[in-house]
Amino acid sequence: MSLAVKPHYPDYSNAPIQRSFNPYADNGGSVVAIAGDDFVIIGADTRLSAGFSIYTREQNKLFQLSPTTVLGCSGCWCDTLTLTRILNSRMQMYQQEHNKIMSTEACAQMLSTMLYYKRFFPYYISNVLVGLDNNGKGCVYSYDPIGHCEKATYRAGGSAGALLQPLLDNQIGQKNMLNVKQESVSQEKALSIIKDVFISAAERDIYTGDSIQIKIITKEGIKEEKFELRKD
Amino acid sequence: MFSSPPFWSNGPSPGNFYNFPNLHPQVQPQDFRQHSQSPVTTSTSLVGIAYDKGVIVAGDLLASYGSLARYTNCPRIVKINNNIILGASGDYADFQYVKDFVEQKVISEECLDDGLSLQPKSLYCWLTRILYNRRSKMNPLWNNFIVAGVENGEPFLGTVDKQGTAYTDRVICTGYGAHIATPLLRDALEKNPQLNLAEAKALIEKCLEVLYYRDARSYPKYQLGIIDAELGVSIEGPLEVPQNWNVAYSIKGY
Amino acid sequence: MFLTRSEYDRGVNTFSPEGRLFQVEYAIEAIKLGSTAIGICTSEGVVLAVEKRITSPLMEPTTIEKIVEVDKHIGCAVSGLMADSRTMIDRARVECQNHWFVYNENMSVESCAQAVSNLAIQFGDSDDGAAMSRPFGVAILFAGIDEKGPQLYHMDPSGTFVQFDAKAIGSGSEGAQQSLQEVYHRSMTLEEATISALTILKQVMEEKLNSSNVEVMTMTPGNLFHMFTKEQVEEALRNVCPVEHPLALNVSKQRV
Repeated sequence: MSLAVKPHYPDYSNAPIQRSFNPYADNGGSVVAIAGDDFVIIGADTRLSAGFSIYTREQNKLFQLSPTTVLGCSGCWCDTLTLTRILNSRMQMYQQEHNKIMSTEACAQMLSTMLYYKRFFPYYISNVLVGLDNNGKGCVYSYDPIGHCEKATYRAGGSAGALLQPLLDNQIGQKNMLNVKQESVSQEKALSIIKDVFISAAERDIYTGDSIQIKIITKEGIKEEKFELRKD
Repeated sequence: MFSSPPFWSNGPSPGNFYNFPNLHPQVQPQDFRQHSQSPVTTSTSLVGIAYDKGVIVAGDLLASYGSLARYTNCPRIVKINNNIILGASGDYADFQYVKDFVEQKVISEECLDDGLSLQPKSLYCWLTRILYNRRSKMNPLWNNFIVAGVENGEPFLGTVDKQGTAYTDRVICTGYGAHIATPLLRDALEKNPQLNLAEAKALIEKCLEVLYYRDARSYPKYQLGIIDAELGVSIEGPLEVPQNWNVAYSIKGY
Repeated sequence: MFLTRSEYDRGVNTFSPEGRLFQVEYAIEAIKLGSTAIGICTSEGVVLAVEKRITSPLMEPTTIEKIVEVDKHIGCAVSGLMADSRTMIDRARVECQNHWFVYNENMSVESCAQAVSNLAIQFGDSDDGAAMSRPFGVAILFAGIDEKGPQLYHMDPSGTFVQFDAKAIGSGSEGAQQSLQEVYHRSMTLEEATISALTILKQVMEEKLNSSNVEVMTMTPGNLFHMFTKEQVEEALRNVCPVEHPLALNVSKQRV
């Protein structure tokens, strides 16, 4: 190890310690979304926490932006509150300016630019945007906090995102499986997989639990469901 | 990255070279304009619960300088109008500043004389925006607020912290209370979801007693803020936590 | 009439007692000095045809640009003060690009017209430097394709914009508009529309119509913005009937 780069041990150091205010909080939470040919399902747990404290067990993290678009947020809750308020007003402004409801694709791009505009003081949120595209097909967009956007057919985000994504890769993406037919997922299967993966996440991730709020988006409208998880 | 601590102060770590003095990366102020980065005169927990027809919020009257119990008569549960009670923990000066401009806002609205008054959800949302804007300027108001009220006959209980994190629930406690009182209150509410005023009051008093025994920064003198759909707002106090230290004599070995 | 005008036509934002803004009305008059531009919207697409005034044989005709591309799916024909039109076209282009940047979709023709209209009414005599000191002396025809199909919009210096099936602007607009009303029908093909536009332009123009004093553009769902080459203009002109339009036209050929 070079002399210049020494590990810093606060307990052994005489240097003055500077306390600083941390504008971010990690309030946890997970979001999972699965898209099919004519539907898309998104689920988010309802636990809002900070460290070992559970703030509330009943926090909805899914935000309906239009009749065909829903956003799921997890991460820094104060940023989520702010971002979703701005998004709602942008949706309304777009509708009044252009006399139409913003499409899911347009909303996805707008969210990306909005996040990037705060590149140097980002909204610390993992966003998963779902909706039906102009052809009525389900789509999922996922973001990093500074606006990188990726279109997918299924995605897990938030505190249990890294835990659940490989599971979805296998169960939905049929990755690392032999002799399987590539076929699109049915609504019933997607719904039961979402419930299953959240049960698994609640077992291992302390920031995911209590219950999940699920929204099923089809051309007939949005159906909402609640599913209980373990509360410890 | 973990590596073992040095053998002695400023000495070499196992497997490393001697740790020459002043080679540590010194913590330097990044910004010369240092905002309030820590609270000074602080108050401790608040406990709040929504019962069937209203909300109770309670907190003690102490404002501390770190571990020094400096001021012992600092009310921090205030009536805002006939619909709202505001409670605060954290920096007492910041609370007084917020209280001043919230009261000014209520006066301004009163002057319009349109028969409309500030509603708890509005104040909760407005405070969230103010605290979020201050945190975004890296100059936070170092408080945890509890907004309690009755809106359209329904109890409302919400909280906002210094970062602008805001949520509503039937049980909200701040500071040490979040760890000690919240489980007690949640448990009671689960067993009896239709809590009435008397039961809620007894529960809150029990929580304050436990908190007084366990939280070193707490104080036995406290206030109770009650907002009820039928009885309106009342701030009760100063009240006294019942104490019994007899058990202390039997504890040996410390 | 003169007296009332002289009192209230100084300030650009001062209403006359009859409720008129004279400077804006004068700006609309300025359009009538401009060269004629015609737009026809069909179900197959939109065609724009514009007269170019070649005032000197030493002039390079291709440098007069009266039809411009705003985005791949929106084109504009302008008449009036060309310098003013540059500012407005610039705004239209920026708005279209910004819309694409933020929403990843093409801006609708109506929204584009609305955006330019917002610029058109930002005139005033304030010193903040943000606004133009007088109304823009330009009329614009927006031809574009969006999710509603081919569309034609007209905007005047007051910022008013209206959708049209067929519209003429500029010095020959009055007569040309009459003729358009007579020839336009819903089932018109784009080729018919192109011929009609050129025929009418020919009737209202002072100079003889040829491939260097006219600009033609088509906007179709397949090819989007397509400016006719000199050869294509010549080809189109061959189809323009050499005789006067069969319908009696009351067209003033006098240069205003």
